[in-house]
Amino acid sequence: MTATGTVLALSKDKEHFEKILDEVIKKTGSLCAILITKDGHNIAARGNTNFLNITALAALVAGSFAATKQVATLLGEREFSILFQQGESRHIHISLVASTAMMIIVFDDSSRIGLVRLHSRRAGEDLTELIQKRSESPEKDELMVEQFKEFAVNLIDRIFTE
Amino acid sequence: MSTVNFSSKEINFKIVYYGPALSGKTTNLMRIYERLTQDRKGELVSLSTHEDRTLFFDFFPLELGEIQGFKTRFHMYTVPGQVYYEASRRIVLSGADGVVFVADSDREKRNENVESIRGMLKNMSSYGLHPQDVPITLQYNKRDLVDIMSMEELDDDLRKDDWPRFEAVAVKGEGVLDTIRETMKAVLRRFS
Repeated sequence: MTATGTVLALSKDKEHFEKILDEVIKKTGSLCAILITKDGHNIAARGNTNFLNITALAALVAGSFAATKQVATLLGEREFSILFQQGESRHIHISLVASTAMMIIVFDDSSRIGLVRLHSRRAGEDLTELIQKRSESPEKDELMVEQFKEFAVNLIDRIFTE
Repeated sequence: MSTVNFSSKEINFKIVYYGPALSGKTTNLMRIYERLTQDRKGELVSLSTHEDRTLFFDFFPLELGEIQGFKTRFHMYTVPGQVYYEASRRIVLSGADGVVFVADSDREKRNENVESIRGMLKNMSSYGLHPQDVPITLQYNKRDLVDIMSMEELDDDLRKDDWPRFEAVAVKGEGVLDTIRETMKAVLRRFS
């Protein structure tokens, strides 16, 4: 049986996503680049992410992006495509990709915002192409859904009686 | 919406705690968090005001561990209950796989419960989330108060179809795990 939950990325996409993110990091000198869904789930992450809680970051960025969409609506815009937050030494650049995902670039003062903007736009175009191509593809990797559900349900019982 | 990432081998689900102000949504999350062992939970993120009221959401990932090689995780969220945070509540509901509605059993909170569940169904509908697809669990909280509504009265006001409902005293942890256990299972039953 095949999984029909929203499929974020197939196994064969991994290399492509990582290559694009690696390229952005290399060209901008950024600390890391992360691709997440609009719902706040992590798709791929590259670079130095040891100092980051990626799961929490993805949830928070998705939340703040959704909030600014409401702000955009108040201004008569459909949504903002880029968010930039400047810290004392670390900064974050978030851009919308293919309407369904977001690319987060974390960089410090050794990188230049202009370069980050330029290369995030280019990488965004490549990622958009990749994501759109994937969504047209009917191919899905196999996941034994019924067995997965049975195991997970038993696990939930165990966790809450541990 | 549950997400399957074959690239990073991850499956994610999202559960949202909804309900009127001060009904006990964050308390539920905290009791679950305390109950889990370290390897089952990520960091608890709380976006609250200086008075400890939820401003945007509280969040933590509950790790089921690896199943068939997939890291399986439930993302647990609460919404802010205060009336003027309607826009935030709507945002947090986006992509939910399951919802827990935490009602306040206090008789004086009757109207707030009814207004809140109406708002929840309206917000869910705006994302195309319908109760037949996204399981809703009711939790009648604060059963230890003196002047409380009966289960039947709360059912009449809030319950539709065969939505499961649980009595709870979340501050003492009573009913908290039954509620989340049932909700997680219901979410999994709909996963296909």
